Amino acid sequence: MTSTPESPPPPPTGAPVGGTPPQPAAAPPPAEAAVPAAPPPPPAQPGDPASGIAEQVAAATAPPPPQTENARLHDGVNRCPRCGSTDIQLRPATGMLVCLFCRYEWSEARVEERFGFGEGIRDLQGTIIASGAGDIDASVNDVITLKCGGCGAEVVVQTATQMSARCHWCRHMLTINEQIPNGAVPDAVLPFHLTHAQAVEKIAAFAGKRRLFAHSRFKAEFTPENVVGVYLPYMVVDANATSDVVGHGEVLTRTYTRGSGDDKKTYYDADVYWLHRRVEFAVDDLTVESSADRSNLDIAANTNNIINAILPFDTKNAVAWNANYLGGFTSEKRDQNVEAITPRVQDQLMSIARSQVEGSVAGYDRGVRWEQERLDLHGSRWVSMYLPVWLYSYYHVEGGRGMAHYIAVNARTGETMGSVPLAKGKLFLAAALIGTVLESAVIAFLVATL
Amino acid sequence: MIATIAATVLYASSGGGDGGGELAFLLAGPIGGAAFYAYVYRYYRNQDKTHRFEQETIVERKAEITGDDRKVGENNGTRQRRIEGDNINNHRQRVRPIE
Repeated sequence: MTSTPESPPPPPTGAPVGGTPPQPAAAPPPAEAAVPAAPPPPPAQPGDPASGIAEQVAAATAPPPPQTENARLHDGVNRCPRCGSTDIQLRPATGMLVCLFCRYEWSEARVEERFGFGEGIRDLQGTIIASGAGDIDASVNDVITLKCGGCGAEVVVQTATQMSARCHWCRHMLTINEQIPNGAVPDAVLPFHLTHAQAVEKIAAFAGKRRLFAHSRFKAEFTPENVVGVYLPYMVVDANATSDVVGHGEVLTRTYTRGSGDDKKTYYDADVYWLHRRVEFAVDDLTVESSADRSNLDIAANTNNIINAILPFDTKNAVAWNANYLGGFTSEKRDQNVEAITPRVQDQLMSIARSQVEGSVAGYDRGVRWEQERLDLHGSRWVSMYLPVWLYSYYHVEGGRGMAHYIAVNARTGETMGSVPLAKGKLFLAAALIGTVLESAVIAFLVATL
Repeated sequence: MIATIAATVLYASSGGGDGGGELAFLLAGPIGGAAFYAYVYRYYRNQDKTHRFEQETIVERKAEITGDDRKVGENNGTRQRRIEGDNINNHRQRVRPIE
């Protein structure tokens, strides 16, 4: 038997902790590999009288929810500030609105400064919901009829996918800007920055790297020019939270081998520690989908994870709502309320907490098994946004089952991700060929050395 | 990709660390082929990709991390390289709530 003692574990650090397991002076409890220990006492629960009073006081003193509606605009005709034309569009290269008649350019204000969305995150208490992120009223119809301010005609807008329409009589553009409770008008919009040509280039490059094993029908029908610019609905969340995690960690104390020849085996000795970590943190602009369809990331049923993967966006640059930013693009309206999204946000905050404490247990060189966790969400602020995505969609049927494969481009950062249907038979043959070549080489080697 | 396959084959040929190397060496072909299939599948379909919000979201720690570390025993003579149920890197795996 050979023995290789490891260096002793690092010295104790006490609290706050900093990545190395401490060695207590007192004798350890009975030696068991994993002894469950009582977690730390929980903080005041919502049902506690003291906690209830504190919450009532906080609610009474909480500031009113930010009213983000763009008061300068209304539903219907909204004119160029200089010439009065209603033909207004986004100019992606500059992120500015441009009047197609007089070429005047302007922009709405950034909501980060206008409504103070970047401030006070570490002191947030309660749930603050901006006016554009309020609950959706199921009785409000998606189809809105506008009276044209130019000629008096009635024009219909389907807000599920469009936020403007042209009057068929006088050619004025009519836009939806008032925050009706159907989820169609968010608090803010992040304008497209990448142009259609740039998106086509990125999608072609992405698919071009994946030609060899791509399905033949996908290759034959690949038309990157068909990419669509779409504003997708997201909830952007600031959070003030505390998280506790409890588990066990192990520190290697000795490595040794027993036996000889083919029976030689390696063994390890380790000290077992009970661990508790607490992290207080503030999260700025956590971005989650606010459409039920898009938030379903079941990879067996869809490729929504592709759209999720192109996050994050530079949400700090989002501007106040103006439906003219959507001209020439489609949009998908929000259909989930804060209440429905909250469990997903809490889950992500818990994951962030686990990521934050990882460095503090780095000294446990045999790893850590977290067994219990808790998130106390002290305060959160919810802002709804439309974020810009160039989306190439290909519907592929395989084994009688169809699925939309997306290639998505973040229209701000250019980050591109996609799912390309595979020619599985061809891939299998290639894998079998590689396996056969490897196996032949191995057999030749073994024969030569016997 | 080639490095991944080579590492997989090398690991197979070493029998995962202990003895039985020659026999495991014969698994190099099937393992290499399967690794190639899995690599290409992942490269084309990207089913493992999602937003890395843990790293890509702005997080400010309000205070230093606090906690306790108590030695509760020893785990001697184990053949496992890591603690059972190691989830230190698996931030998205939810565990039991603290009541």
